[in-house]
Amino acid sequence: MSERTLFEAPVEAILKPLPDEGEPTRRRFLFSGWHLVLLPLAVVMIVPLLWMLITSVETLNETRHFPPILVPHQIRWQNYTQVLRQAPFARWMLNTLIVTTLVVIGNLFFCSLAGYAFARFRFFGRDVVFLLVLATLMVPFQVIMIPTFLIVRKLGLIDTLWALVVPNLAGAFGIFLLRQFFRTLPIELEEAARIDGASRLGVLFKIVLPLSGPALATLAVVTFLWTWNDFLWPLITLYTPTHYTLQVGLTTFQGAHQTNTHLLMAANVMSMVPVLLLFFLAQRYFIRGIATTGLKG
Amino acid sequence: MNVRRIAQSEHVVGWAFALPAVLLVVTFGIVPIVWSALMSFQRNNLLAPPQWIGLENYRALGRDPLFKASMVHAVVYTSLFVPLSVGGGLFAAIALNRKVVGIRVYRMAVFVPVVISSIATAIMFLWLFDPTFGLANWILGKLGLGPFGFFTSSDGALYSIIAMTVWGWIGFDAIIYLAALQGIPQELVEAAAIDGARPWGIFRTITLPLLGPATLFLVVFSSINAIQLFDEVYLLTNGGPGTSTYVPVFYLYQLAFAQGIAGYAAAIAYVLLVVILILTAIQLWVGKRLVYYAS
Amino acid sequence: MAEVVFDGVTKVFPGETVALDDLTLEIADGEFMILVGPSGCGKTTALRCVAGLERPTRGTIRVGDRVVNDVTPRDRDVAMVFQNYALYPHMSVYRNLAFGLRQRRVPKAEIDRRVREISAMLGLDDLLRRRPAQLSGGQRQRVAMGRALVREPRAFLLDEPLSNLDAKLRVQMRAELKRLHARLGITTIYVTHDQTEAMTLGDRIAVMSNGRLQQLGAPQEVYDHPANLFVAGFIGSPPMNLVRGRAEGGRVVAGDLTFERSRIPDGEVAVGIRPEALSPSADGTPSFEFLVDVVEPLGDEVVVHGTTTGSTVETGAEEEEVPTQVEGARAPITARFDPGVRLAPGERLRLGVRPDRIHVFDLRTGAAIP
Repeated sequence: MSERTLFEAPVEAILKPLPDEGEPTRRRFLFSGWHLVLLPLAVVMIVPLLWMLITSVETLNETRHFPPILVPHQIRWQNYTQVLRQAPFARWMLNTLIVTTLVVIGNLFFCSLAGYAFARFRFFGRDVVFLLVLATLMVPFQVIMIPTFLIVRKLGLIDTLWALVVPNLAGAFGIFLLRQFFRTLPIELEEAARIDGASRLGVLFKIVLPLSGPALATLAVVTFLWTWNDFLWPLITLYTPTHYTLQVGLTTFQGAHQTNTHLLMAANVMSMVPVLLLFFLAQRYFIRGIATTGLKG
Repeated sequence: MNVRRIAQSEHVVGWAFALPAVLLVVTFGIVPIVWSALMSFQRNNLLAPPQWIGLENYRALGRDPLFKASMVHAVVYTSLFVPLSVGGGLFAAIALNRKVVGIRVYRMAVFVPVVISSIATAIMFLWLFDPTFGLANWILGKLGLGPFGFFTSSDGALYSIIAMTVWGWIGFDAIIYLAALQGIPQELVEAAAIDGARPWGIFRTITLPLLGPATLFLVVFSSINAIQLFDEVYLLTNGGPGTSTYVPVFYLYQLAFAQGIAGYAAAIAYVLLVVILILTAIQLWVGKRLVYYAS
Repeated sequence: MAEVVFDGVTKVFPGETVALDDLTLEIADGEFMILVGPSGCGKTTALRCVAGLERPTRGTIRVGDRVVNDVTPRDRDVAMVFQNYALYPHMSVYRNLAFGLRQRRVPKAEIDRRVREISAMLGLDDLLRRRPAQLSGGQRQRVAMGRALVREPRAFLLDEPLSNLDAKLRVQMRAELKRLHARLGITTIYVTHDQTEAMTLGDRIAVMSNGRLQQLGAPQEVYDHPANLFVAGFIGSPPMNLVRGRAEGGRVVAGDLTFERSRIPDGEVAVGIRPEALSPSADGTPSFEFLVDVVEPLGDEVVVHGTTTGSTVETGAEEEEVPTQVEGARAPITARFDPGVRLAPGERLRLGVRPDRIHVFDLRTGAAIP
């Protein structure tokens, strides 16, 4: 694989597109022909979410109605508390949070160390090992999930949260991302720090990592999303309902409440809140993560 | 002195830094790749000791109608999902690349589905596409269409899944295209305009070629993704109605974890891997001849 | 403080690039040594070997009485100023200055005392809370020096520290560096490709080329008596005029110029004359014809470019390949005159030079012939 990623693009501009430098109000029509395109597009994207939100505060009777009732008589927040009573939803949320946090921390730590080694040290076998690491990027998880399952079972981790944590503590993606970033830092800073008396580890933690904020944030956000939304792996490794993650829990909840649509939608909304929250707080890093890599899936 | 020198050599320090991550990647990445290959030559039910049977699994695949059906579905799914999501993403990106009032809101609307999990999306669409009470049938009815069975009809289930996943992925493609569009130097567009090109001509001769790398990336990436379809099928249709939405990964999962036929499943996994590698190679090869890379 | 000694140091990079070739050089305790040469001559590699950023392939490096080949940078107790300063962008000036001391676990109070002392010395008092990005080029330069000096290192290494400053600031910092060295007396190795810095700053200068030491000596001595063609071509600006010639029976002929030199062996030679050694009148001294091409009045002097009969000599010190205008067989000549001398392009005259100001080099070996 080449030094650069398959494709690179400026990311910052997407979120701050409206400086209108030197062009005052003249160009900013209140209405433009593009609105005729943008409005339907936005509506198509938003309607499913809106419909879910509306349903989540309706009564069961209101959901069993055609044509659909778009404005509920009364907003039933109780649906949400009812979900929390009917399923170990909080427990699933907590499990997912624990797993996600550990995986994010693990990736930041181990990928920093390895990425730095691959970026700056000349050690025996480096290039071969790096190529091997990259090769795993090409192989979809589904291809290797059966043996991975056997390995994790042999380690005695099946049906524990560790089954989700341990195999994901480091990955080719993070190693590659950070290595590429570290190589863009001026090496003189690291040399200066070594002459100033810092150890190799000291250089990494006191100089390199503090300067790698954007890359670390991108890795953290991407890893968070991956782990939070992962479904297939938790599905095959977790059996006990109280050990489930949110995604697996949701599917069992769906199975048990197929006709209680209002509860199902309330549960669905709750499962999205953390990622949506993070998305709005860390848009920049999401966008960067997507534009430089490809994070969904 | 010598001990210190060894401890400080780049070989030792480099390996010490890389080792934890490399061990993880090898254990949960490299070893399973090899193991998977070996398993595909075994009769293996994950419990009893495996038994070597040579190419028997692969031969059986050729005679398996369900495998054939799932491959056909994968091809249909991929050949619709990829152009629709990539084309839709391009369309959305061009529309979103305007300085008009409210553009931030529009962008958010398109981007938000990107972070929503496939399971949550599926649950949401299950309701949206509900044949009796769903919003979709109501809206389509107003337009004089339907009603449709969506996920419950054996003709429509696969296409309903496509509609849903395209909805989920357009934002992703749009972000990548938007980033690429912003990277196109404005001078080029202006120069073409001064040279007398019309907007459509500029788009066709300047913008589209410069979006080549992004398009290639998206096509490769989306294809790999499409072939891995699982979550939605598992939750929405369980392969049905009948076998109308069986896809390879779902079949693989069923075989290995519901029926315990892991060796056979591993063969499917390896066929998938080979298909993905070949597909990617073809796309990159075609891309190399069509795509212009700056610098 | 300590002496720094290179003993037969060779550095070969992967790919068989020989960056340093058997360098032997002793830098005395407290001396200000300049390593000068064109880019790629090995001067920076030599410096990095002292810092511990590169390990010599062969030979030893000694700082004080300790061979440091196997000592990590952190344990060498040397300090370095980088060309781009390498200030830690995420730390304030204060923390930049304190970083090395903190790594060495110097007590907090002592760190504070020394940071205050050095910042007062370098006039950084008002900048201590700023980040490097908020500083001007000259201020960054001072911080970089402060960061190195605050540790009171045994040796002070500078890698082209002034090359990122504008011309005016460079002159100012040069004087400041000299004052600092006089005051602190730290053994200093200073790498530059700028010969003005080399001439003005150093106690001694070491001219390097292709990883080899070409000449070592006091600046004036090197200027007055370049040991070989490379040094002759490298030191001095504008560079020494060089014309191909021939020695026979104590008589040297180069183009239009003829002069006597006793005890000179017969053979092909290069004749070198510094631009300022030329005078616009012959009056009895050896002389040669000169065709004026370009006249550059500089106020305090006038630099005249032109040509003479003969062919020029390449020294390997040329900054880049300049297509020498070979009109027939004419060699480019540059002369420096008093501002009173008025010449116009196209004018022809004879330039005179005192015989003792003519350098002669063996054309084959490049070595100076006394």
